[in-house]
Amino acid sequence: MSASIEKGVNALKRQMDSSVAAFFSSCVHCGICAEACLFYTETGDPRRTPINKTEPLRRIWKSEFTLMGRLGKMLGLTKKVDDKFLEEWQELVYDSCTLCGRCSMVCPVGNDIALMIRKTREGMAAAGQAPEGLIGATGRAVTIGSPMGVTWKALSAQIRHVEEDTGLKIPVDVEEVEYMLLLSSMEIMNFPEFIEAVAKIFDKTGTTWTISSEAFEATNSGIQIGVSDIAAELVQRIVDVADKLKVKTVISPECGHAYMAIRWDGPNLVGKHFNFKVRHILEVLDDLRKDGRLKVSGKETQKLTYHDPCQISRRGGVIDEPRRLIDMFAEDFVEMPDAGKMNWCCGAGGGVSANERADEIRLKVFERKKAQLDEVKPDGIISACSNCRIHLEDGLEEYNMDIPLLSLTEIIAEHLSDD
Amino acid sequence: MSDINNEADFKRVLETLGDVQQRQVALLFVKHVLHLSDDKRLDRVIKIAADSDATEEEITGAHKIAHAVTFDSHARCGAEGHWSDQAGYFAARAAVAATTSMEHSRVGGPAWQAAMQARMAHTTMLIDDETDQHSAHTECEWQYQCLSDYLND
Repeated sequence: MSASIEKGVNALKRQMDSSVAAFFSSCVHCGICAEACLFYTETGDPRRTPINKTEPLRRIWKSEFTLMGRLGKMLGLTKKVDDKFLEEWQELVYDSCTLCGRCSMVCPVGNDIALMIRKTREGMAAAGQAPEGLIGATGRAVTIGSPMGVTWKALSAQIRHVEEDTGLKIPVDVEEVEYMLLLSSMEIMNFPEFIEAVAKIFDKTGTTWTISSEAFEATNSGIQIGVSDIAAELVQRIVDVADKLKVKTVISPECGHAYMAIRWDGPNLVGKHFNFKVRHILEVLDDLRKDGRLKVSGKETQKLTYHDPCQISRRGGVIDEPRRLIDMFAEDFVEMPDAGKMNWCCGAGGGVSANERADEIRLKVFERKKAQLDEVKPDGIISACSNCRIHLEDGLEEYNMDIPLLSLTEIIAEHLSDD
Repeated sequence: MSDINNEADFKRVLETLGDVQQRQVALLFVKHVLHLSDDKRLDRVIKIAADSDATEEEITGAHKIAHAVTFDSHARCGAEGHWSDQAGYFAARAAVAATTSMEHSRVGGPAWQAAMQARMAHTTMLIDDETDQHSAHTECEWQYQCLSDYLND
């Protein structure tokens, strides 16, 4: 994609709507959002406060959409939005924000600050001020269908492996089934056990499902980098295949932002209702539990805790489901402080983990998660996002903490009852 | 002991092994895919784990090294993945499994876990192999034979 400051400014202008106007008109500069953001609390750097990250968007709003701003612009008094300014802000908007939405939860006037930062990214990306890692990932998502370059050939090799190990047939491109499973490239490359776990659970519960060879990727780099057109195109690919296969429900896998992208942002991005439902895998498993189809045996005796992935819990609302599932097998479960909707982000979402430049700050802000873990001292950490899982492992290694990371779906598969 | 030639027998026999045997068999599986990793730290892990005189602290140290190799070799979120590199990641995960005690191992035990990771390393290596001459199945068969030989020795 060709980029320029002119395109960037125009993209910021296109973001202006009632939510932006209400946001900047109602912000009372209280600073409460700062204390909710781990990039501020763990660094103490006032530049990293959530509200400051929206400055490019605010400048355009003020100079172009307010009377005083227009007058100021005529008199040459407004602060410019140029390449130098956006370059300076790039590190704040991309490296120092995981779009976790914790700031939005505490805003006393109800502003969705995370949404504004995402809107700011639209201008940054159009101006060519996005991190190289995200640009590469987005390019591969468009051309190959996966931000990590995972092809159908690669996934089909993993599927064959699972079939040989389990003796189960993985359904591909099957029409009119209950569920179509999406996968993240992270799962395919780093945690293929997830596919095996789902295959075992669906086999045991008599659930009909399929994977599509045309659109299997769940993640959406367009949302992370801030290019809505690309985000919409990636969603549309899934919609087209789900409609073609006439599936009832599309499952978002153990990936945080994928869930936000397809379930909550998806219909808005493509501008229409879906003909199918979208559920996170944990919602599906909890439904199977409620229906009495999912049964487990045996207990985990070690002390376990659950890390809430921001986009699944806080932004997605899937908070009780994982806890009900964990209750099926955990004898000793302990919540981290601020668990659930106010959980602290691991520090790697929103494209931060795809951005090598952000490695240092990503591990620095992990100190918050470390403090939470130090308080509860678990023997194992369960999560439901492969990106959180990798980053938690990375953080634990950095701070010399030896706590195993476990996938909730995979543990359930291990505990499937023979009944 | 007759030869093992199917998955059910393979898993069942592995589950009957004690702590020391689990590690010995797991190491055989790891060694078979070790060439897929270019991280020399894994050689040290295998050497320590294979030493019958190694202390618990030394095994724990080897386990931590193997863990560190997995962190350094996993595919980064959003980065272009290379399957040949990823084979090394799974070889490292097999080494992690082999240096985990039975008490702390996930389902199936250390040898079973190492076997699964070693197979994944083999599968992953084949993805980039344009000749497509090999079958992922060969790793399973090799493991069956390896376990049979171990038990018959």
